[in-house]
Amino acid sequence: MTPTIENGAGLPGRVLVVDDTAFNRQLLARLLRGLGHEPVEAEDGRQALARLRDPDEPPIDVILLDIVMPEMDGYQVLAALRDDPALRHLPVIVISGVDELESVVRCLEMGAADYLPKSVDPAILKARIASSLARKRLHDAEREALDRQGASNEVLAIMSRSAFDLQVVLDAVVRAAVRLCRADYGVAYVLDGEAYRVAASAGGTPELDAWEREHPIRPGRDSVVGRVALIGEAIGVDDVLADQEYLATPGQATSGYRTLLGVPIEQAGTISGVLALTRNEVRPFSAAERALATGFGEQAAIGIANARLLETIERQRGQLARFLSPQVAALVSSPAGEALLAGHRREITAMFCDLRNFTGFSESAEPEEVLGFLRRYHATVGALVVEHEGTLEHFAGDGIMVFFNDPALQDDHAARAVRMSIAIRERFVEIGEEWRRRGHVLQVGIGIATGYATMGRIGFEGRYDYGGVGNAIILASRLSGEAAAGEILVSQRTHAALDGQIEAVAAGERQLKGFSRPIPVYAVGAPGAVTESAGIVGGGAAEIAS
Amino acid sequence: MTGGPIDAAVFDALVEMTGGELSFVDELVDTYLDDGTRQVAALQEAVAADDVSAFVLPAHSLKSNSLNVGATELGGLCRDLEEQARTGDVPDAAGRVAAIAAGFAAAREALLAQRAARARS
Repeated sequence: MTPTIENGAGLPGRVLVVDDTAFNRQLLARLLRGLGHEPVEAEDGRQALARLRDPDEPPIDVILLDIVMPEMDGYQVLAALRDDPALRHLPVIVISGVDELESVVRCLEMGAADYLPKSVDPAILKARIASSLARKRLHDAEREALDRQGASNEVLAIMSRSAFDLQVVLDAVVRAAVRLCRADYGVAYVLDGEAYRVAASAGGTPELDAWEREHPIRPGRDSVVGRVALIGEAIGVDDVLADQEYLATPGQATSGYRTLLGVPIEQAGTISGVLALTRNEVRPFSAAERALATGFGEQAAIGIANARLLETIERQRGQLARFLSPQVAALVSSPAGEALLAGHRREITAMFCDLRNFTGFSESAEPEEVLGFLRRYHATVGALVVEHEGTLEHFAGDGIMVFFNDPALQDDHAARAVRMSIAIRERFVEIGEEWRRRGHVLQVGIGIATGYATMGRIGFEGRYDYGGVGNAIILASRLSGEAAAGEILVSQRTHAALDGQIEAVAAGERQLKGFSRPIPVYAVGAPGAVTESAGIVGGGAAEIAS
Repeated sequence: MTGGPIDAAVFDALVEMTGGELSFVDELVDTYLDDGTRQVAALQEAVAADDVSAFVLPAHSLKSNSLNVGATELGGLCRDLEEQARTGDVPDAAGRVAAIAAGFAAAREALLAQRAARARS
């Protein structure tokens, strides 16, 4: 027999030899080495437990335990192991003399896996160690599978909880990848322009992390991240210092990492990121660890896709808001939106506003002047509509139509419409004055009516508006046409809804197109501070009317 | 060496167990002699202190090591002492320890002589 007896199980293990006599330790260590195992020696139970609990030392696979020892004997060690959840699973082989069978029975009862006679036969030692190692490996594999499953579930839970918070998702992915792939440092790089930038990291020294964060990586052969970006596949480098093409960075120099693994974070054929893991020693990532890392790369990809989707929705909502009123833009992108868009009947207050004398102005003025005026007019009214939370139905030339109480419910819809109209009239004093100086007389006329209307999507595929159909809308439009310059005419129902909060005076009955009977109307004065400007407007109106 | 302090069959088994690497066997024997010297000294101290419990560990260790190197008779003496000590009463403790010390000295002599003979051959 030679000291290099082949190890039957083919798997080397780290074996802790606990014996108080140097002779036995020496002999067993020699035999274990011959079997391809790595012996670790302890002189008594106390030393053995200290070694087993030392987080800085590599884990032990099997314990060879003597029973009679000073300090802490074999029984005490077995009891301590049994009470320690982290060590309970470790297989213990008790070494005993032929005359100690009683003790062996006691040890087996206390959880020892096996026993070995003191006059060690190498063949028996080999078989017993192999069997205990197999048991330990099985246990480790089970625990690892549970651990992986747990970590994977954890990441999935975080992803479903914070689907749109990319940072939270990437942090969780990198943390789990570092832990389960036994890496020292992990980074999720995300493509930013032409380079991959650190988006999340875990482990690693602050120096290394700071360096990596300040140095985005471009696609290329000189780095693992760069290579993954080029090829789009997982790349492992067993030892960066032995790799001809790898260009060692100061980041590598400060931390001294040697083994690297990079997996793609892929989106529809584009490498939008790279998940990179490093080890500070030359210890290649196993096939299982690669597969695991690839899975985490895919989870990161889902995280990025979700975040981009959210960005797109937000951007579209932002863009919509420039065309639609904020209420309608929000409605279009809300879950309840579809039902509301399909049509519903509701009491609303409609406001129509258009310009007196606009036709004459647009014929006599230069087109640029007309457009310039309209921009100013729309901007002014648009801001007031937003301020009063109205729903802008349309901007058409000089006509503007705004609803209240839809789609957002507003108890005070009539008052809102009237207050907004007063504000428009006030602002128009300034605008009208400017244009009068240029020789154009422009004033607004406003009509407001309250009543039931059917609201929803109006139009045809490809060109829909949000609008309404109902008497109140027609009435508001007619009242607007009826209003003199600077005048705000409201329907009887609107007037009633104001309940005296805003002063309006009866302005007779009007015969309006489409209405069989004369309609009583009310003119909104300008209470309080508004009176003065309303006076000016009134004056202007008289001028134009004449 | 039949009848001598070292059982040749057991010693040969030890040599075989180590893969026949004699330099390692020499190391083991040195360890046995070092440990044994300390264990005998501990037993003698226990006699002087009249401390029965202090016999157990050194007797136990010297027993198992002796059985491993083939000092079978010495191993037997140690086993008797250990067992007696566990009962808490060791009749003629001084005599027993003196016999163990003599047995250990004889084993030492035999082991060293054997090594010297091997070196000459």
